[in-house]
Amino acid sequence: MKQQEVNISSQEIEFSQTTEVWKALEIDTAKRQEITARGQSDLEIPIISVEHVSLDYRKEKEQLPVLVDVSLTAYKNEFVTITGPSGCGKSSLLRIIAGLSKPTSGVVKFKEQPVTKPTTQIAMIFQNFVLLPWRTALENVMFGLSSRQDLTEEEKKNRALKALDETGLSGFENVYPGELSGGMKQRVGVARALALEPEVLLMDEPFSSLDNLTAEHLRKEIYSLLINPTSPIQTVLMVSHNVEEIVELSDKVVVLSARPAHVVADLKLDLPRPRNKKSQEFFQWVDKLYSLLA
Amino acid sequence: MATFSLLEITIDIIFSWIRMIAALLLSIAFSLVVGILAARNKRAESIIIPLLDVFQSIPILGFFPLVILGIIAVIPGQLGVNLAVIILIFTSMSWNIAFGVYEAVKSIPQDYIDLSSMSNTSTWQRITSLYIPASMSRIAYNTQTSWAVGLFYLVSSEILTLGQGQCSPSCQVNYGIGVATMTFYYIDNNITGYIYSVVALIIAVVIWQFVFLREFAIWAERYKFVEEPRAAKKDPLMRFYSWVNHRSISKLFLFTHDRGVTRFSSSLTRFRRGIKYAILILVAIFAAFEAGAIASSGVRIALPSLSRLASAEGTVLAGLAVSFLRVWYVYFICSAVALPAGIAIGLRKELYEALSPILEVVASIPAPILLPVIIVAAARSGEVVAAIIIFLGMIWYIIFNVMGGIRSLPNELWELRKEFNVSKWSAWRNIYIPSVMTAFVTGSITAVGAAWNTLIVAEYFVPFNRTQPVTQVSIGIGKIIVIAANSGDLLTLTLAILSMTAIIVAFNLTVWRRIYHYVTKKYTYNR
Repeated sequence: MKQQEVNISSQEIEFSQTTEVWKALEIDTAKRQEITARGQSDLEIPIISVEHVSLDYRKEKEQLPVLVDVSLTAYKNEFVTITGPSGCGKSSLLRIIAGLSKPTSGVVKFKEQPVTKPTTQIAMIFQNFVLLPWRTALENVMFGLSSRQDLTEEEKKNRALKALDETGLSGFENVYPGELSGGMKQRVGVARALALEPEVLLMDEPFSSLDNLTAEHLRKEIYSLLINPTSPIQTVLMVSHNVEEIVELSDKVVVLSARPAHVVADLKLDLPRPRNKKSQEFFQWVDKLYSLLA
Repeated sequence: MATFSLLEITIDIIFSWIRMIAALLLSIAFSLVVGILAARNKRAESIIIPLLDVFQSIPILGFFPLVILGIIAVIPGQLGVNLAVIILIFTSMSWNIAFGVYEAVKSIPQDYIDLSSMSNTSTWQRITSLYIPASMSRIAYNTQTSWAVGLFYLVSSEILTLGQGQCSPSCQVNYGIGVATMTFYYIDNNITGYIYSVVALIIAVVIWQFVFLREFAIWAERYKFVEEPRAAKKDPLMRFYSWVNHRSISKLFLFTHDRGVTRFSSSLTRFRRGIKYAILILVAIFAAFEAGAIASSGVRIALPSLSRLASAEGTVLAGLAVSFLRVWYVYFICSAVALPAGIAIGLRKELYEALSPILEVVASIPAPILLPVIIVAAARSGEVVAAIIIFLGMIWYIIFNVMGGIRSLPNELWELRKEFNVSKWSAWRNIYIPSVMTAFVTGSITAVGAAWNTLIVAEYFVPFNRTQPVTQVSIGIGKIIVIAANSGDLLTLTLAILSMTAIIVAFNLTVWRRIYHYVTKKYTYNR
């Protein structure tokens, strides 16, 4: 019974917020263009730069190349998507950027400093939400902050509450993940990343475990949350193989080949925002990506 | 009619339960340390896992004489005896809980580990907020069976009479339900008191099942990553079955649990290396206990002559051979009963649902407490008493596995039977028995392992106030161990335990593993 109630209200939230999101997006676009114009001079320093990264997977005595000489950059206020055929090593690349695994050769730099281990300035949103089932939404968000010695428990809690509020979860602080719908679970995942106030946000197929309708709403909302002047997030790197999603969200697309993966294309996707999914240009981009991926 | 006090029985049960709870807490603490270490550290894993595996396949009860002598040497009196009993129960409970923790932590999805790394959590934070909670449901789950196994060891250790000559005043605990039953029967000749205390134990088992074990399991459900299918959750017997299954598909035979069969060969070589460590550590533990026992009991410290060593080993090997045959002939009788019974019960849903809670309780009644009854029933024939005790120690593993196996068969098989109008006899021969073969073999592996443990009480039994055994077989390894322990013959004791361990481990690695591989290859649906 309780489960149902929560699910219904989660749907309501997702619907009621849609219009607001659209409004937010419009305002946001105007601001964004302004920011981009202002920020032109900063473009020389990438927030994240992946330089000639190669990765071998050692199996028994063989060495299987996974990534071959991959380079890409993400500048301030850029939304970069990494795509490619499934199993090509997109997620491995994201893990290297996160500092979770080491490349066989090459280097990843965050503001010109090599990334050698995970840092709280780089946060991640996972495909399968990765929530601890025995902790409430609030406690899950606070888990991300558990290593922050500089914050008191009270400050951590306030930050977490604020992040939950931003992702539309106020009122659900004390609910366990098991009682939340897929969309709401991912909102908790987003809140956990936001609470860290990271400069770089990594997303590993964040919408692919959600149904289409939920994913649609969440995409718009997350975009406006991430790329806006008040957000500390400077750049977003997403792994995805949903072509429409890529065209809807990205400023730049990096297409990888099948294994061993190298960069096939590095494209600037300069459609105006909000993007009209029914427009001619949108379809052209979708076609172009499909042909690159095929 | 002799009198007895219900209050006294209650006090005895409370004493026994305190020992059990202490052993359980110790087991959980031990399991968390060892399990987490093995799951998160490759080097630790390659030592700990084979070691746990050897420990879980050897008859721990055989250790008891050494443990008690060693501990009493350091801490004399009731405190020492109680500690020894708790340690014995602990050794019977802990291996499977430790495996549970190891597997739970090992199977935490990589994403969660990544999440912790990205949040820069400290090792301690990771242990408290990720590893321990993630282990909780497996701990609760494995505790259910560990408790039943522990009861057997509790009663056995309480009623075993050891080394009158060596520890004074006595190597016996003063209170406990095992002590109570034997005192009523053999010292007071109070049959009513004996019956009441056995009934009291059964009631305690049932109450404990409902107020603690079940509640613990339900509470721990929320510490699960993935929801299990409802059927498995609802059905306590299915839970038990899958645990038994789980335990006996021991890493000793496969060591492939979450690695996939493809990497079998490389894990096996690593495992073999691990076995060496395991045996070395085992020998070291024996040496330590013996040193303690020798130092305390004032046994002449002299290296045994080669001829004495050879003659002792000769006796041990003869005993081993006879016990081996004894275990196996009882195993065949047991299978002849349990296999058809398990299938017959499993096939009928109503019968299965009605019987499963009853069987669960019956299975947790420790056989040693029934010794007086069994002795009377067996007309004091030592060989028959031994057979009955071994039988009771084995049957549950087989019957639960077979029942679980038949319950978990795909529905299509039932339809197949109806569709082609297969006769009853043909259905048994061609569908039911082949279908439960894997479950039957896994049950058998655990059953035979458990049987070796029962030998210590089955082959030779001296009640407290007697000097002569009331039941004994003519020859057997269990008898050799108990007599050697009573007379302080550490040489024979050590040889007996080491030889038995070696035989069991060797047998598991060669014969059982082959049978298991053959059966899983031949009788499986998902090929």
